[in-house]
Amino acid sequence: MLEVEKLRVKFPDSDHFLFKDLSLSIPFGQKVLIVGPSGSGKSTLLQILAGLIPNIIEVPLKAEKLQITSNYGIVFQDPDSQFCMPYVDEELAFVLENNQVPAVEMTEIIYDLLAKVNVRFENIHTPIHQLSGGMKQRLAIASALALQPQVLFLDEPTALLDVEGSKQVWDTITSIQGEQTIVIIEHKMEFVSDIVDRVIMLDDQGKIVADNSPSYVFQHYKQDFDQYGIWHPTSWSDYLASKSFKAIQTNRSNQKLIELESVSGYYQKTRRIFVENIVINKGDWIAITGANGSGKSTLVQTIMQLIKTKGTIHYHFADGRLPIYQKIAFVFQNPELQFVTNSVYHELAFSLKNKGNSNHTIIENHLMRYRLAHVRELHPYQLSMGQKRRLSVATATIMAEDIIILDEPTFGQDAINTFMMLDCLEELRQQGITIVMVTHDQQIVDHLATKEWIIEQGQLAEERYPCSFLSKEVGDSTHAL
Amino acid sequence: MHFELTYRQTWLHALHPVFKFVMVIVLFVAILFIHNPNFLFYMLIGFGFLYIGWTGHSFKLISILSSPFLIIFVSSATSMMFFGDGTNTWYKIGLIHITEESFYRGVHLGLRGILFGLLGLLFALTTRPVLLFYSAMQTLKLKPKYAYAFMAAINLLPIMVSEFQTLRNALKVRGVTYNSGIKGVYQRIQYFSIPLLAQSIRRAHRTAIAMEAKQFSNDRTYYYQVSYSLKDLYFTFLILAIMATSFWVSTIYSVFPIDNVRMR
Repeated sequence: MLEVEKLRVKFPDSDHFLFKDLSLSIPFGQKVLIVGPSGSGKSTLLQILAGLIPNIIEVPLKAEKLQITSNYGIVFQDPDSQFCMPYVDEELAFVLENNQVPAVEMTEIIYDLLAKVNVRFENIHTPIHQLSGGMKQRLAIASALALQPQVLFLDEPTALLDVEGSKQVWDTITSIQGEQTIVIIEHKMEFVSDIVDRVIMLDDQGKIVADNSPSYVFQHYKQDFDQYGIWHPTSWSDYLASKSFKAIQTNRSNQKLIELESVSGYYQKTRRIFVENIVINKGDWIAITGANGSGKSTLVQTIMQLIKTKGTIHYHFADGRLPIYQKIAFVFQNPELQFVTNSVYHELAFSLKNKGNSNHTIIENHLMRYRLAHVRELHPYQLSMGQKRRLSVATATIMAEDIIILDEPTFGQDAINTFMMLDCLEELRQQGITIVMVTHDQQIVDHLATKEWIIEQGQLAEERYPCSFLSKEVGDSTHAL
Repeated sequence: MHFELTYRQTWLHALHPVFKFVMVIVLFVAILFIHNPNFLFYMLIGFGFLYIGWTGHSFKLISILSSPFLIIFVSSATSMMFFGDGTNTWYKIGLIHITEESFYRGVHLGLRGILFGLLGLLFALTTRPVLLFYSAMQTLKLKPKYAYAFMAAINLLPIMVSEFQTLRNALKVRGVTYNSGIKGVYQRIQYFSIPLLAQSIRRAHRTAIAMEAKQFSNDRTYYYQVSYSLKDLYFTFLILAIMATSFWVSTIYSVFPIDNVRMR
């Protein structure tokens, strides 16, 4: 049983309580899902229940009662920063060593653990960096299980995975769940709603607004889900029925913008991508999809001419003064890597400066449009995740180029930020700006893209025209949960 | 980005890592007390064989890694040759003054530099860091928290490299330009260091929490049991043999007509 009573938490640099008199108890064996908008303190709550706060991460905390367990395992979001050893067997052995398991028993236990999470290797001495994201996260689950935990904490274990990887991870969790308590934070409701038997919703003030069975919460608190912008099973169908989406269904043009003819992209002398003949039209919304490592990003870098290329690429907008990669607006997956100045305002001014034009009104308009006006003086790193993402898109769109390329811009975003960005991109598209987007989100592909390029093993495997634009009954389309 | 080095395991890989480390350090110190360039020359040949034949790495990699040796040799040898003291002048122009004494001293320094590099590579190419730290924990009683801190840090390096490449592209796309000269270097440091540091610190923090969550403790068992074997004895004998042979040959066949560079 996990129990907190009248929990109060306040971060030193914040002027309000994150939690004020929060009480919660989770009986042994329950499977609990915690949902809430970004900044509601979901992760903090999970780390308190695990005892990481305040024992390891020092955060001022007060509670009348705090009953937690020392017998827990935890899986974090980022597949790359939760391992300390380079090989699969060494990572699992690290956990067994911590538990002082005798060395002779380790190999057998490691095989058992890997079988439990359904990952099989010919040789367990395999480098972790060779694994796919889904395999890495299942390895993380295995190392959590190695502690034989009574409570398993899952802190958005699939936030950085593609659809296939997410499915593998949740299938694994479904198959291993037994007696132990499981506390989950997850955005992808379609995977978890069947596993859990209780949903707790926090609001943006860190207060519990709902606490009931999944079906009850999804039915009776839909408004709250929408208000706080949390993903729920019908987020997408609601959006598709919305006014802003209806406005999206307009005609699209056929004016060629970029043509690629037998183009290859090279990375350190090896050919990583080859495309025979593809065209980007003005006003297109192209979704580039494919498994992790298939060459999606390489294709984008080829179009941008950031890597060595062979073949012919026609750019129908180029004027020859600037390199191509500065004529295309680009949004990187990690927004922080794009920031070069010390404030939000200057970040936008920097984009304009390169175009020899820094107009105060344009910047102010952009700040308003992307809801960044109130934070204009802050350092970009001080922004919340959603704000950082908006700023990175803003720095790209303010240049008013003909084409904008985005590398997985909706990854790990909550519903409110995702739909806001999609509306905004569509607005740009209607102004004649072409959008190319690397994405794992099939919903975006099906409902917003005009063209889908499926990349497999460094080749364009298929060019698909998502059908939703041909049908008029978009609101009725059903969505797998 | 990850570099995958494939190599075959040789008996040098099977040596006790800490023992091997100590031997290399002992050799480093010993070399400092050798003043006969002939002796160093023959030692170089001896350890050169070991380096070329028994690290288990591809010939291509070995050759690429040895190329800096030439730079080490030339840079350390020439500075001594050109500007060192000496009485028996061979050539003089402006500041440059080559004498017989300074020439041989330069050659000697160059040989020493190469030998240091060679031994260092011999160690690095045949020792996995993980095993070195395991063995340091077991033999030298290094505290696990320090050993694991190092191992986790080594694990972060490849991620930093790929992040660096992404950052470089990002700055290019944003249209960042640099001044030329020293100011440009300063600008680059500014643009690169803060994002890279911020990402790394955050990632290190996450890794640390993940390790703590896996109940990291200083009382632990060891997956790898590092122990001594007969091979360590052979290794010692081999080193002694190389030293002895080099010394013996250097007294018979002198490549350089000098046996102590310190003598005038």
